Amino acid sequence: MAMKRRATILAALSAAATILILLWKPSVINNGIQQAGLYAAIAIPMGLVLGIVHIVNLAHGEFMMVAAYATYFACRATGMDPLLAVLPSAAVTAAFGWVVFKLTIKRALKAPELNQLILTFGIAIALTQAVNILFTSQTFKLQLDYVSASIDIGEDTFPVWSYVFVAFAILYAAGLKLFLTRTTIGKAALAVGQNPKGAAIVGIDVNRVYGLVFALALALVGAMGALFLTKQSIFPSVGSPYTMKSFCLVAVAGIGNIPGILGASLLLGISEQVLRGFRDTRAWADIVFFVLIIAVILGRSIKWRKS
Amino acid sequence: MRKALALLAIALIAIPAFAQTGGTIKIGGIWTLSDITGKQGSAAALLAVEEINKAGGVNGKMLELIIADDEGKADKAAAAVEKLATVDKVEAFIGGMASGAEVGKIPAYAKYNKVVVATGAASSAIVEKALGPSPGSDYYFHLHPWDYNQGASYAEGWDAIQKKYPSIKIKKIFLAYEEGAFGKSSWDATKLLFGSDKRYTVDGAPFKSALLGGGDYSAVLEAAKDFKPDLFLWAGYDADALPMLEQSKAIKFTPKIYLGAPPGWPIGFGSSKLSKNVMLYGMWSPSMNDTNPASKKFYDAYVKKYREEPATYFALLAYDAVMILADGIRVAGTTETAALVKALEATKYASPLGETITFKPSNIIKHQGITRQKILQWQNGFQEVLWPFEAATAAPVFPFPAWK
Repeated sequence: MAMKRRATILAALSAAATILILLWKPSVINNGIQQAGLYAAIAIPMGLVLGIVHIVNLAHGEFMMVAAYATYFACRATGMDPLLAVLPSAAVTAAFGWVVFKLTIKRALKAPELNQLILTFGIAIALTQAVNILFTSQTFKLQLDYVSASIDIGEDTFPVWSYVFVAFAILYAAGLKLFLTRTTIGKAALAVGQNPKGAAIVGIDVNRVYGLVFALALALVGAMGALFLTKQSIFPSVGSPYTMKSFCLVAVAGIGNIPGILGASLLLGISEQVLRGFRDTRAWADIVFFVLIIAVILGRSIKWRKS
Repeated sequence: MRKALALLAIALIAIPAFAQTGGTIKIGGIWTLSDITGKQGSAAALLAVEEINKAGGVNGKMLELIIADDEGKADKAAAAVEKLATVDKVEAFIGGMASGAEVGKIPAYAKYNKVVVATGAASSAIVEKALGPSPGSDYYFHLHPWDYNQGASYAEGWDAIQKKYPSIKIKKIFLAYEEGAFGKSSWDATKLLFGSDKRYTVDGAPFKSALLGGGDYSAVLEAAKDFKPDLFLWAGYDADALPMLEQSKAIKFTPKIYLGAPPGWPIGFGSSKLSKNVMLYGMWSPSMNDTNPASKKFYDAYVKKYREEPATYFALLAYDAVMILADGIRVAGTTETAALVKALEATKYASPLGETITFKPSNIIKHQGITRQKILQWQNGFQEVLWPFEAATAAPVFPFPAWK
């Protein structure tokens, strides 16, 4: 009862805050939602890997960077639009992820968590340096007219292209929910995520499931690599900050809580935009995500002590 | 007899400097090799060494350039100086770009007290302050303008442009600056140079550069749009260039002058439709080949050797550094620091950058080379020089066109 009341108060406060922000500066909500979509669409695959394979993939953003580079050069060579490269990029990155899993991550699954972290951190550095050596730190960007799409409402102009990230984030969350609850392999993955030993006893090939889930997550990251390229410049270290933000969002949402990543992203995206909307707080926007993660960890810790 | 003894004494002082490298003069070059400025800077320095050696070397000795990578980090930069000084036993240093890396080299440079011809590092607060005043920093010859030199030359340039082209009137200036040291120092300089005498109304806002994990410019662009500036300029990195324009177009932000001030532009920026009539600050562009024979000579030689265009003026600075150093050694007859410093102080070098480089005192150090930058504009895919007028290759296109 108390929880229900607290949830109702929270919802009412959020609605009131949203209305106030909309009245003050509607662009803050518009930009915040779009930024949240980008964060969520990148973070959801990390949440999948962490929830089922139980690995913090510190090379998460770097895989997206590699997919973006592959898409860039494919588009330059063929004249293809990066939107058409979403599926091929997903397939190629999934295959790459499968190989990386088989060669490296599979061998560290039973190792202490620190070893797993060092392994994926090493993969991240190797990918960044390889791209750096091959293409230098020079930035690349495709110029696409549609990314400047906007709509006019009254005297205001609202950019809308980044809603594509929102659409992908929702698609990822809904698609994964269906995959994990409606398909045999998805149910097996869920079982492996909850209890790998039990799953193995009932005949599920745990390592195969881990490999498939890792490849699936990288397929989603690969698709995001192609989409990311439409909006942003790419360079060797472009993925690294997204690894950190994704990890923060997954931690805030709670491990295995994929819809929660959508909520956490929305909170992060809008909070950043609100701070950027005020002259005196613009430079503080970056701190939001640290504050968020500290607050959530402290909150959980207090809750755990009470219980 | 006395004359002969004096000559013998000079020879005895001078010979060991060359003799220890067995007939070659070793120069250490330190750049961030994964960066285009370092990649092309080191390539241009090698081109200069090749040209000098083909022409007989310096005082009968061949030049040898030993290149080290500072990876853009202060600790790696310091290690590179140590290695070049102790293992390779170089006799002088060239190179540098980022101030953050350059500052790491300074203690080691001071320790070995060999001549340095630096090609980068604009931050006076970081690098010039660390070097300190003469005579402690006299070994250091700084080619690139300091940030306050750059700011002063922009103010001078805009005054001159407004005087020559009365249709261009600037009253309100907005600076979007990246949150790091580069952006912050640009903001401080802009406020000081344009805002202090009340001739201009100056406002600004920070943004997180794409290079540092940002890339969303909506808030800063909306603040700029609300301000309605005559001159909008942004100080960030090449990764920000196209996304900044795309997002400006998305919110229909059309200032009268749209100017970018990144250290380099992304590959193919000129071929983008969005580059049309964007202005920029810089030191050189290939369009200067038509008016400057030294620029054309360098450009042709570079393209012939590397089959690519020099995309950054840091290539020319590195080329100049080798040429200036070689001239100095030729005049001094030695690489011994005191004699070489004296010879370099008399430098008068006609640079492909379109000016004659001499060394004069700056705010702190004694040997500052270039002090002016140029105002340029992307026109039909090429960077055209607008100011200084003596180096101009085109007239400004004004105002910045409305988005279609």
